[in-house]
Amino acid sequence: MPARQPLAWLKEGWALWVLVAGSVLVVYGALLLVQAPPRQTGIDLVVGSLGSAHAISGTLNEVTPLLISGIAVFLGLKAGLFNIGVEGQFTIGALAATLVALRLPGPVGMVGAVIAGMAAGGLIALPAGAIKAYRGGHEVITTIMLNNVVGLIATALVAGPLKAPNAESPETSSISASSHLPDLIHIGNLEINGGLLIGVLVAIGLAVWLRRGVTGFELRAAGANPTAARFAGINQKLVILKAMTWSGAIGGLAGAVQVLGSQYYFTPDLSSGYGFDALGVALIAGGSPIGLIPSASLFGILHKGGTSIQLMDQVPKGIMYVVLGLLIVIAAAARYRKKLVSDG
Amino acid sequence: MPEQPIRAVEAEGDFAVSMTGVSMRFGTVQALDKVDLHVKRGTVHALVGENGAGKTTLMRILYGALQADEGEVRLDGKPVQFRTSKQAIESGIGMVSQHYGIIPDMTCLQNLMLGAEGGPILDPKAESRAEELARRMGFQFNWRRKAESLSPGGAQKLEILKLLWRNARIMILDEPTAMLSPSDGDALFASLKKLAGQGATVILVTHRLPEVLDHCSTVTVLRGGLRVAEKTVKETNGRELAQLIVGGSIAEPPALTAEVGASVLHVQDLTVSGERGHDALRSVSVRVGSGEIVGIAGVDGSGQRELFQAIAGLIRPRAGQIAIAGFDAQTASSRQRIALGLRIIPEDRHEEGLIEDWSLEENAALSLQRLSPFARGLAVDVKGREAAAAAIAERFDTKHGGLKLPVRSLSGGNQQRFVAARALFLSPKAILAFQPARGLDLNSTTRVYEGIREACKGGAGALVVSFDLDELLEYCDRIVVMNRGEMFHPDPDHARDRDQIGRLMVSAS
Repeated sequence: MPARQPLAWLKEGWALWVLVAGSVLVVYGALLLVQAPPRQTGIDLVVGSLGSAHAISGTLNEVTPLLISGIAVFLGLKAGLFNIGVEGQFTIGALAATLVALRLPGPVGMVGAVIAGMAAGGLIALPAGAIKAYRGGHEVITTIMLNNVVGLIATALVAGPLKAPNAESPETSSISASSHLPDLIHIGNLEINGGLLIGVLVAIGLAVWLRRGVTGFELRAAGANPTAARFAGINQKLVILKAMTWSGAIGGLAGAVQVLGSQYYFTPDLSSGYGFDALGVALIAGGSPIGLIPSASLFGILHKGGTSIQLMDQVPKGIMYVVLGLLIVIAAAARYRKKLVSDG
Repeated sequence: MPEQPIRAVEAEGDFAVSMTGVSMRFGTVQALDKVDLHVKRGTVHALVGENGAGKTTLMRILYGALQADEGEVRLDGKPVQFRTSKQAIESGIGMVSQHYGIIPDMTCLQNLMLGAEGGPILDPKAESRAEELARRMGFQFNWRRKAESLSPGGAQKLEILKLLWRNARIMILDEPTAMLSPSDGDALFASLKKLAGQGATVILVTHRLPEVLDHCSTVTVLRGGLRVAEKTVKETNGRELAQLIVGGSIAEPPALTAEVGASVLHVQDLTVSGERGHDALRSVSVRVGSGEIVGIAGVDGSGQRELFQAIAGLIRPRAGQIAIAGFDAQTASSRQRIALGLRIIPEDRHEEGLIEDWSLEENAALSLQRLSPFARGLAVDVKGREAAAAAIAERFDTKHGGLKLPVRSLSGGNQQRFVAARALFLSPKAILAFQPARGLDLNSTTRVYEGIREACKGGAGALVVSFDLDELLEYCDRIVVMNRGEMFHPDPDHARDRDQIGRLMVSAS
């Protein structure tokens, strides 16, 4: 990333601050509209997400899938790919991990499940990468279509052959406790599962690889200027194929971690939109994967806090999507603005 | 320099177009210097000259897209002053540029009317009027089909009909045959003659002398912004025109004597398919020995780009062999070719040579990223890269505010110096340079070529493309010529002979 004059964009970015202020007003107005006291709602949001050990555990439980899915999207973006298929990759990864963990208990099963999840996510993304690289088909279209393919396959399997014998709803049996991801911290009400550590490590690993790896350099080059990358001896098509596959594999990892660390069985709606929220997580993370950690945390807080204000203040959880949407608009505006400034 | 007197005997009114004393300056470049152009009604008039001679500028002034600094333009003897192309169009001037203005997704009829609708768009009579127009020219169109189905020749015909649809009497065609097959080209000229017979006036901007000799009645030659001659085609010949186009320097630059060693780049019978059906390169052969700089002369678009891309491994040739530094590189990837010692100074530094948002440091590694000192195995060598970037920036005095700043912050000339220095940095074997001095002043140009020369003394060889023949004559040991996808080797006794090179550049192959 280019070094910029520190805070220069803050000084020039008055339009951005207008946007931020406007967004606050929109949220304020929305709260008044549903007849919730804005001040109390804000307090409840923070207390509900960060106010107790229990609340923090719940928030971090949301952060983990958001972070890992965000990494998947981020990797694609660095190669110039917009992977909208993380939702599907998450689901197929979770399904594959469940299948392995159900048959193979114990730590071996856990590791096998993680690998299976990543392989499944990678394989489902591979065709989108191949179509993009060798036929020029846009990855947004193909990954959206693959989301539907995965969703329908998962629904069919769980409604039929994979349905747990005694279950009423479409879900698989639970995996054995021996193959659960170990807890990272478990003190009283504070429970943090190992998945969060996996996410943080993958984010750091990705950051190092992009900066310090020759192949990471080549991937960024292919994403930043495909023509210059080709002139630099980089097989840009192969980079696209690999980047899409690895992006899918990380999406699959997010699904596997969700099953092994939090849900312990599979249902088709396991993801509940993490793959789509991940687009926002990656978008506001900025230039480095490390930025995904605060960005996923913010999303996690809003998710968890949104649930608690729904309970406490009868404010629809949807209000949080208004906030998230505005955040993404602001992030996009900031990013686009920087580009305009540097182009000028 | 032959300067012909303006034919005062002819009445002003005989000329459909009469431009006198037109000058135009862009920054420090005098693009046109008191240029005259007189075009008789009902003729096909050629405007010829090298790249950068001022042909397109002059035509854009006539078309109202540019305003001349001084000079007078008369149409049918009456003075006019266009501030916009719209005014020129209203006065009956039409221009087809090198790049077609056809929208593939629209039907032929919609394309025909595009921008000239005037009345209702769904004019029911439009199709019959279009048909009538086409019949007059002997063209056939399926008006309801999408324009994407048109061949290049068909698209060109549609462009001409677009001009007629707008009632153009004076038509400017800029390199109309650049994308056409020979037979489509012949058909085009047949229609142009027909138009001229019906009283229209055609100005043909071209590099190609055969087109001038076979199809035009008068020709104006521009060189370096000056009008050097206006001739009746019957009274001239290809040899004379080629000489006028390239010009003759007073003193032939002294022959450079390089010690030529083993071949570092050998291209044999290379054939590359073009985008529009005909071959972009036809059986091209060239050999560059260590120690020598070989210049490729030729007008823009003669296949230089394709040759470089094929050597770099970016496009796949249909036939032929490529050897780099003595190794068969036929099946080698671009990366392997770089490892063999191939270095490129690309034509377009923004698109092909740099990533403008990245720092100078990271850009220093671009294309060399897998080689030491930029990498150690598969890890980036940050220290090595830092030192290398500093050395590259220093080589030709790239002015920068810090190696961590984005390359975007550099001026164009500094970017070019940086890209050139990078190509010479890491013991190059074979150097491909596409206009390596683009945008540089004379002093920097000399330094870049001296840098290439130095690399050649160290065992490399260089293949240089430039559209400036003087530059090639000054800095290269030997010159070869590309023309319509073929490579011509002037015979060794005349390898630096302007006349012969000029003829090869613009003659029929």
